[in-house]
Amino acid sequence: MNENRRKILEMLSAGQISADEAERLIAALGNEPASSGASGAGAPSKPKYIRVLVEDNGSGNSARVNIRVPMQLLRSGVKLTGLIPDHARTQVNQALRERGIPFDLNQIKPENLEELVDQLADLTVDVDDRNAKVRVFCE
Amino acid sequence: MIPITSTVRIRDGRHQFWIPLFLVWLLLLPVAILLLPLFFIACLIVRVNPFRAISVLWEILTALKGTDVAVDDGHCSVLVRFP
Repeated sequence: MNENRRKILEMLSAGQISADEAERLIAALGNEPASSGASGAGAPSKPKYIRVLVEDNGSGNSARVNIRVPMQLLRSGVKLTGLIPDHARTQVNQALRERGIPFDLNQIKPENLEELVDQLADLTVDVDDRNAKVRVFCE
Repeated sequence: MIPITSTVRIRDGRHQFWIPLFLVWLLLLPVAILLLPLFFIACLIVRVNPFRAISVLWEILTALKGTDVAVDDGHCSVLVRFP
């Protein structure tokens, strides 16, 4: 484990990988025992964070952004929809439909919430623009 | 447990602030208590369970731990971290 960490740090100091990549690799090393641990059933561990990375593609026109949001914050945030008054919820649903998003806020219920957040584990979005590279993933 | 400290770093580490959030919470507590009746009235007007609203807001506060936001546009960088 220490050897792997040393290699990652050497690659970072040699400029072969970026600081973000080094962080991800080290985090992956930290997860190794948990994922190959006692259960052995091959069940993927639940992601704890959702990450949004924006990196400049060398154009200098884009800001570098590195955001890490705990999944728990996402869960709590989704629960806020339960506080939206009924009439406001109807208006939101209607506005979403008008913009071509057939989404019903009434469907977000506690029993569906966990499933919704769990499905995010497989979420990976990669956008490679000429100005910036955007990555959204869970870890 | 709600976060009791946060780190705010601005401009490439030249200015770094450590914000003791527990002091902020202590300062906000009397304000929150004063505003509580208004909050309850507002909740009743919009037909939202005020206890549920407080519970969700508390959950959001506690879930802030581990949040990291770093933005760097070349001229200025900002980092906000709730360890």
